[in-house]
Amino acid sequence: MSTASPSTTAVSVAPVRFSPQRVWTLAYATMTQLMRMKILPFLLLFCVLVAAMGFGFSVINPEQQLSQFKTMSLGVLQVFSIVFGIVSTALLLPKDLEDRTLYTILSKPVPRFDYILGKLLGVLMLIASGLVIIDALLSLILWMQQSVLFDSAVAQLHTEKQDTPEVVAQMREIVAKQGLTWNLHWAVWAIFLKAAVVTTVALLLSCIASSTLFTIVITFCITIIGHGHAMIREFVFQPNLGSTATRIATFLLAAICPDLAQFDVVDSVANGEIVPWAAVYEMTGIAALYMTVYLFVTHLVFVEKEL
Amino acid sequence: MSATPAVSVNHLTKVFKGSLGKGAFRAVHDVSLTVQAGEVYGLIGPNGSGKSTTMKVILGLLSPTAGDTSIFGVPSTEVASRHSVGFLPENPYFYKHLNGRETLHFYGKLCGMSGAKLKSRAEEMLALTGLEDAATRRVGGYSKGMLQRLGLAQALIHEPQLLVLDEPTAGVDPAGSRIIRDLIIEFRTRGITVLVTSHLLEQMQEVCDRVGIMAHGRMVREGRLEDLIAVENQTEMVLENASPDLLAKIDALVKAEGGGTRLLRSGHPRTTLERLFLEATNAPKEP
Repeated sequence: MSTASPSTTAVSVAPVRFSPQRVWTLAYATMTQLMRMKILPFLLLFCVLVAAMGFGFSVINPEQQLSQFKTMSLGVLQVFSIVFGIVSTALLLPKDLEDRTLYTILSKPVPRFDYILGKLLGVLMLIASGLVIIDALLSLILWMQQSVLFDSAVAQLHTEKQDTPEVVAQMREIVAKQGLTWNLHWAVWAIFLKAAVVTTVALLLSCIASSTLFTIVITFCITIIGHGHAMIREFVFQPNLGSTATRIATFLLAAICPDLAQFDVVDSVANGEIVPWAAVYEMTGIAALYMTVYLFVTHLVFVEKEL
Repeated sequence: MSATPAVSVNHLTKVFKGSLGKGAFRAVHDVSLTVQAGEVYGLIGPNGSGKSTTMKVILGLLSPTAGDTSIFGVPSTEVASRHSVGFLPENPYFYKHLNGRETLHFYGKLCGMSGAKLKSRAEEMLALTGLEDAATRRVGGYSKGMLQRLGLAQALIHEPQLLVLDEPTAGVDPAGSRIIRDLIIEFRTRGITVLVTSHLLEQMQEVCDRVGIMAHGRMVREGRLEDLIAVENQTEMVLENASPDLLAKIDALVKAEGGGTRLLRSGHPRTTLERLFLEATNAPKEP
């Protein structure tokens, strides 16, 4: 048996650096791969559902009707984006591993960080594309509803002979406040940020776990816990509650789970409250921070992962 | 031939940590091998002998527990080592929504290729692997042999100096298998080093310059194929149109020689079943 020389003469070559073009190639492939998984019909169904909700409510009063429409559609949108983010991310890595596509990709000069970032961006791009389409549809329906409801309200005031300029102006203000404003887009942006954070958590878990089901179930649990983050913090900082072990466990839970309540602006938007720019910046910053931390940990796990 | 070996494996040991309740598993134990640039090296052994694990360590997909591996002198742990290697895994699958040409463009872009260079290289690889006619078909509709050939094309897209092929002819029909073996022989003439594993020993014998035989995670035999399979104390003669008289004379001569010389067997050499299959299936259709 011939034996190799005991020590290899190391040849120095330029290291492979992070490449945005490579990440884009992976992200685009991931996005098209997901689109082939019958996502578009699901998105179309959602659009039909939203349109039906827009015109399906019985007329109570213009303010309530617009508010109900926003609450329902944004709520469904939030659930859709989170479910989509978790399930698609949990499926992607195991599928690439099972099909050995991961081997053919990582045996090329592709750093593992580029791969996971590409996968994450692919999922986020698809969520963002879906949200942009639905945001446009929501805006159109809301604008149409706003006009129809205002006209019918003015007509009713005219029938009741109460259409004084002051009352009409007041009605216009109420409808405009609940109608199409920038707040709707900020609510959709907040939904995207929440879905992006949850998707990054799913990516981390799919790198750790070998089971897709485990990743999905645990990410859903973390999402639920993340919505009650304030309660957990309250428990941790109350000195008289629970044993030390329970408090340590709760503290760890609070440290691991993201505070998803930070992105809950849907109710405020549905009530016609204005979302200030500062709140938008804050939400965006918090999401960026969470994603950076989770992505960094994902990289540490994935770079050591035995494939 | 370059002085730096194409692949160098030095005292490689790989132990997989056991999961809950299970002990650790030693897949590869103190294996060393060298593949020189330009040769075809066959790594053979039964299932579970550690061939695939060794390959994965060479490709940087697994990290060694002990020892080290390098590709053209660059440690496998560095991503840069993958610039000079192309890999075809066993039974490869590709993104089904892409067609053959798009698949090659995808892998080329991952290697930093773009524009006219990528396009012409992809066309060259499609031509080399005989997939030009299927270039616009979705990969989901490819046969197993076509997938293997596409796998070879993607492995070669960035012009690597080393090809690592894991069971390249597994599950492929004899005609497809013949094409793949012919390609391996062509790679050698082009100066591309090939490291290949297969269970089909006759096929390995046909294409390999050197082989390493692994069993139970260890390298049990390694060397030039001709040296390993030659029976030193026997000589083979193949005669054409020999009459029975001539054969009788030869037999008599051997007997007269005495000593330890014996005629062990004589008869008609046989063609291989593969050659028979290829002749039968490639014959033109009768009207």
